[in-house]
Amino acid sequence: MKRIILFALLGGAAFAQGRLAAFSTGKALGNPQAPIRIELFSDYQCPACKQLHDETITPLINNYVNTGKVYLVRREFPLPIHSHALAAARIACAAEQIGKYQQVCDQMFRTQESWTQSGDVLGAACSVLSPADAKKLRELVSASQASQTVESDLRAGQNEKLNGTPTMIITKVVRRYPVAGPVSYAVLSRFLDSLQ
Amino acid sequence: MTRWITLALRLVLGAIFLYAAWTKLRQPWLVFALSIDAYRLLPEWAVFTVARVLPWLELALGVMLVAGLQLRLTAMATATLLAGFYVAMIYSFSAGSGIDCGCFGVGEAVSARTLVRDGLLLAAAVALVISSGRRRRMSLAMA
Repeated sequence: MKRIILFALLGGAAFAQGRLAAFSTGKALGNPQAPIRIELFSDYQCPACKQLHDETITPLINNYVNTGKVYLVRREFPLPIHSHALAAARIACAAEQIGKYQQVCDQMFRTQESWTQSGDVLGAACSVLSPADAKKLRELVSASQASQTVESDLRAGQNEKLNGTPTMIITKVVRRYPVAGPVSYAVLSRFLDSLQ
Repeated sequence: MTRWITLALRLVLGAIFLYAAWTKLRQPWLVFALSIDAYRLLPEWAVFTVARVLPWLELALGVMLVAGLQLRLTAMATATLLAGFYVAMIYSFSAGSGIDCGCFGVGEAVSARTLVRDGLLLAAAVALVISSGRRRRMSLAMA
């Protein structure tokens, strides 16, 4: 009897974890089985992307991704008009390989103004990492895998015929809603609630 | 001549307003709310109000333009509305935000093309205000 209860408890915990916990695999966050999927295309050097990241994405992760309602996939879409955006995207993708995507992503947006002026994107990213991780990141940035990931994300964006960044492609079953621009959390959350 | 110009302007503007209303009303109103919100010009309550009211206002103006009802008043309301859209679009375009214009549903960014198009529509609405006023003065003079 004790075994059955133990199994039930463990099974329940595993189910709850599967349903609710955010599966952080870098660029993708949340439960892939979540009813709503959001693909977010952004450019680290774009001020509107910073605004969306700071004001909307953080509460979105806390209230919708971590609760299993939304599966969030971040994609790089560096625009040619931004001179350091491609380098920033490569660094973020390299950071994903050492499990530090979120930290580097947050840091890129936090220090956007500074590295946009100085051009030291890698220095800005490394400042949030341990010396060992920073060393690994410097090695991975020059490897081809990071560039391939950026290329793949760019192709995905081109297939979506994106007009600019930030753009979210919100999918619920077969209905797709492209949302361009730095929308506020209040309006986005009301829209997501209406899709539930 | 003024009569034919007035007729052409009101039919073209009316058809465009009816189409704009239809593209918004066929999708959930919150999708349009997201387009308005991306401009970052209005507070939350105003975003929701405009998203609910504007498509119906466009529909009403479209019907009144096509039917030629209260033409001078309708033309003035149309021109005022288009001027409002134009200011918002210029603001967004100059900020380089690359957002959806929200003019005819989703998927069309604010661009030089949309600015030219809306500028022409605004000019047409102003021309309609002038021509409908001229026709009114002429009919008053004849009476």
